[in-house]
Amino acid sequence: MNFWETITGSDITREWKTFETRAAALPADYQAAWEKIKVHLSSYSDFTGRNLVPILDGALGLLQETASEGQSVHEVLGDDIEGFCAALAGGEGAPSYRDRWREQLNRNVARKLGQLGG
Amino acid sequence: MDDLTEMLKGTLEGCVLEIIGSEEIYGYAITRRLNELGFVDVIEGTVYTILLRLEKNGLVQVTKRPSEVGPPRKFYALNDAGRAELATFWAKWEYISSRINKLREGGE
Amino acid sequence: MGIQDIIEGKKQWRAHMARVKALPRDYQIVYREMQRYFFKVGPVGLADGSLLSGILDFFEEGVVAGKGVLELIGNDVAAFCDDLVKDSRTYADIYQESISGEPGTAEK
Repeated sequence: MNFWETITGSDITREWKTFETRAAALPADYQAAWEKIKVHLSSYSDFTGRNLVPILDGALGLLQETASEGQSVHEVLGDDIEGFCAALAGGEGAPSYRDRWREQLNRNVARKLGQLGG
Repeated sequence: MDDLTEMLKGTLEGCVLEIIGSEEIYGYAITRRLNELGFVDVIEGTVYTILLRLEKNGLVQVTKRPSEVGPPRKFYALNDAGRAELATFWAKWEYISSRINKLREGGE
Repeated sequence: MGIQDIIEGKKQWRAHMARVKALPRDYQIVYREMQRYFFKVGPVGLADGSLLSGILDFFEEGVVAGKGVLELIGNDVAAFCDDLVKDSRTYADIYQESISGEPGTAEK
């Protein structure tokens, strides 16, 4: 059974449909990123779809929240969407990716507070 | 005294437990107590993460009370499990400090 | 208040974000960056809303106390975030357990 059959062939179909509804409302560059995220996460095919749902939920939430602030998708995900997905799923390389998220967080805070002039 | 942060790390939770054990108190007041005690580098955020853990581990009883100046405040009191944890902390503290003092005095 | 509620603009979430917008600018900036970080890390406390609303309560008290946000939580915002979710599991943990076939989870 492949990723999509796992996802769609079970009781989580309904949840999956709401994901697609949410994604459809995103700006185009965000939608493209969402498609890539799905492809990369599908390489983690050895899972029970149920456990991946919250991870997809979080990723989509992140996209929606950032889109609503009018930022570019690149600012959120960077260049390495594959690495980003591995980190989301907690796979190999996740610790170093989390370090990058940490640095990104502190850098963004410093920059934005700096712009505030405070 | 500067730069106590690292050394204080493992004992700060015990200090917070002791403060809560002596009176029902809210987070910012706990930080103030620690600052007045001489731990001037302890910040509210650190105390907040400790309180969150104490709450999650079921060691404190939390009550929201209205405040005159702002949003309601969360007040913390020890429950039985918290009192047991505090006793354990002091027992460990006794042990560690007696050993270290002994080391310093050159004893065995 | 799950992530779903957040996104679909449920009443609770709108009320939550209205409180965020009422914070001073420096608090708003830090809150939003923290929230974004938590969306990536995926701690389970995110789904029931306790994590984010707790932070907001804590920040509102800081505003009343007249403190700047970094004065409150320190310059290393990421360290503060990690401390907040230190012993809480993440969705990635749950997923990893499910594929490694640990006891009590799905068979490999």
